[in-house]
Amino acid sequence: MRVNPNPYPDLLAAVNQTQLQIDIDEQQITTGLSVNVPSDNPAAAAVLVQNADQTSQADQFQRSIGGIQGEIQNADAALNSVTAALQQAISLGVEGANGTVNTSDRAALVTQVQGIQSQLLNLANLSYQGNYVFAGTATQTAPYALDPSSSSGVSYQGNSGTNSVTLGNHFALQTNLPGSQLFSASGNDMFQSIQDLITSLESGTGIGTAVTEVSNSLNYVDGQRVFYGNALNQLTAQQTYLSSETTELAQQQNTVGGADLTTVISNLTNSQTSLQATLEAVGQTARIDLFDYLK
Amino acid sequence: MSSLNASLAIALSGLDAEQGAMAATTNNVANANTPGYSREVPILASSDPVVVDPLTFGTGVTLQSVESIRDPILESRIQQETQTQGQLGSLVSALQQTQVNFTGKTGDIGSAITSFFDSINQLSTNPSDLSLRQGVLTAASNLATAFNSTANNLTVQDQSLDQSVIQSVGQINTLTQQIAQLNGQISDLENVGEDAGSFIDQRTQAIDQLSSLVDVSVIPSDNTLTLTTANGTPLVTGQQSFQLQTQTSASGLHGVYSQGNDITSSIVSGQLGGEIAARDRQIPAIQTQVDTLAAGLANAVNTVQTGGFDLNGNTGADLFTLPPAGGTGAAAGLSVAINNPALIAASSDGTVGSNGNAEAMYALNSQPLISGQSPTDYYSGIVFNVGNATANATAEQNASSLVLQQLNDQRSTISGVSLDEEAANLVQYQQAYSASAQVITAINDMMYAVINMTTLTG
Repeated sequence: MRVNPNPYPDLLAAVNQTQLQIDIDEQQITTGLSVNVPSDNPAAAAVLVQNADQTSQADQFQRSIGGIQGEIQNADAALNSVTAALQQAISLGVEGANGTVNTSDRAALVTQVQGIQSQLLNLANLSYQGNYVFAGTATQTAPYALDPSSSSGVSYQGNSGTNSVTLGNHFALQTNLPGSQLFSASGNDMFQSIQDLITSLESGTGIGTAVTEVSNSLNYVDGQRVFYGNALNQLTAQQTYLSSETTELAQQQNTVGGADLTTVISNLTNSQTSLQATLEAVGQTARIDLFDYLK
Repeated sequence: MSSLNASLAIALSGLDAEQGAMAATTNNVANANTPGYSREVPILASSDPVVVDPLTFGTGVTLQSVESIRDPILESRIQQETQTQGQLGSLVSALQQTQVNFTGKTGDIGSAITSFFDSINQLSTNPSDLSLRQGVLTAASNLATAFNSTANNLTVQDQSLDQSVIQSVGQINTLTQQIAQLNGQISDLENVGEDAGSFIDQRTQAIDQLSSLVDVSVIPSDNTLTLTTANGTPLVTGQQSFQLQTQTSASGLHGVYSQGNDITSSIVSGQLGGEIAARDRQIPAIQTQVDTLAAGLANAVNTVQTGGFDLNGNTGADLFTLPPAGGTGAAAGLSVAINNPALIAASSDGTVGSNGNAEAMYALNSQPLISGQSPTDYYSGIVFNVGNATANATAEQNASSLVLQQLNDQRSTISGVSLDEEAANLVQYQQAYSASAQVITAINDMMYAVINMTTLTG
């Protein structure tokens, strides 16, 4: 049987093939990725697009949580100060209700309660990063303004709007309570109770009732404050969840698109050996034919 | 009757025949590396004998012909596989350029979509903040740029493929002219009974080259052959070649015409077939998907935007320029329609602090906006389609390369020049030549003896 007298195209094709494999392996080693272009593994490339999207989303949720956390912590701290101030107002009211207190003593108490009243007004008008925290969604206007025509001494300028922010897949958190719900809810109006305390101290009558009223306000605000405590807890829990999600996504990315360096390097070594062997074969078969022996 | 002169003539025929055989061997050795060359074999036959009753005398040897050794069936298989190889070659190279646009690196459409929605989520945490609003505008503008540049790259690629189509048609025309000319030379030689082996080799080589460019059917006839494309468009008939033309079609790209007929879509093989497939089918299909995504996303964002209120309490205006109806060209033309960050409609009730509409816009991220898929899922589908088309074409190309390599090996086994074989032949012919020369010397001696004998007696 006649054999193919020209093996060079085959050898050359083998050299090319090995060289191509070496290029691919080297690219995987330099990038650390097994999927460098979609055709390397189309299904994996599609998964990696979604993985990158989810990873970026999780990072964004973390940033958003960071932004919201500051506001909620501030709101919570402000409410803490509100309850402390109300506590102090109650003490002053109890002192004023004592029968041994005279008119000038009560006048001094009134001044102190008025101080608390203006402190509460400041706290209710808390602003964080340029936004009034307790104004509902009317965040550019101070929610409480002094208003002599109002029985509580202040009027509410905000609205009852609330915001929710998406902070995870299928997880959105309400981020604010409006002042109309916190401080001036009908039947639980904190400013009204303080105003009533001032009036009763001034007149010397009904102080006990007014103190009870303030005490009710304190309980009510304290109850509302739970919202912020819960929100902070949920944010912390979500942060933990998101960082574990990020870890999982990173693992998935590595499993789907990362180069298996041990295998790749061992493949590369094999390819190099095989390339060397092929080249040596080419060298050795180089033109030995009968003509060399017919001299 | 036998004579010394007859013996001399026989010895001379030996010298002639061996010289002829030697010439064939020499030609083989000289063409050992000529692409497409088929080895030649001298066909020797003994001359017709002379009968002088009751004896029969041989009259020597003749070199009947020098025959090129080739397998026509194998040649035609090689041509077919070369067509497939040519088609896959240009298709793979086009798709590899296309898929670079979809590698998931920063700045591609996928990452721009993600960044856009990320910026909206950030805005949602503080909807009246102007720098966050600016962040959304910047991300929207980056998204538009990502769509623009991908669409633009695909168009540029289509145009450069169009140039390749024109060049391929030019090469096809040059080759069909050559083949027609070779047909003439071959039939001239064969009509007078001569071997046209080397012209046939040249023609086979030219047909191989033509096969790498376009789908060719070879119809052999007496002394010549006819070439057509797979759908029967004539390329060469005998000594006549038919030129293909290119003409600009309505799309602005060039169609391939033969004698006034548009044959563009019927060319499915060879380099030209691959270029046409990539230019007219693969890349436009990707363009359409990118346009669908751009239009779907822009329309959905605009709908939400116009359903909310901007920072001034006014109804929102479109964030993106309206995509063309039907979506064609949506990606190339996408741009941001507003440049004042206050005009982003984050509010759902007109109050500055409301983020309701920003949340609604963010929710688009996971809604089935485009063919029942979320924007990112639809985009990952495009990445899969592009990658899959490239991977499949590459795999087919590799398989076809192997087949072609084996066919060429087979061809080389049959038609290739073996230097060992030629060396052995050379020795053989040389020895026979020397032997014939010795015979002539012997006859010369005998003649001499006869002449001397005559002198002595005379």
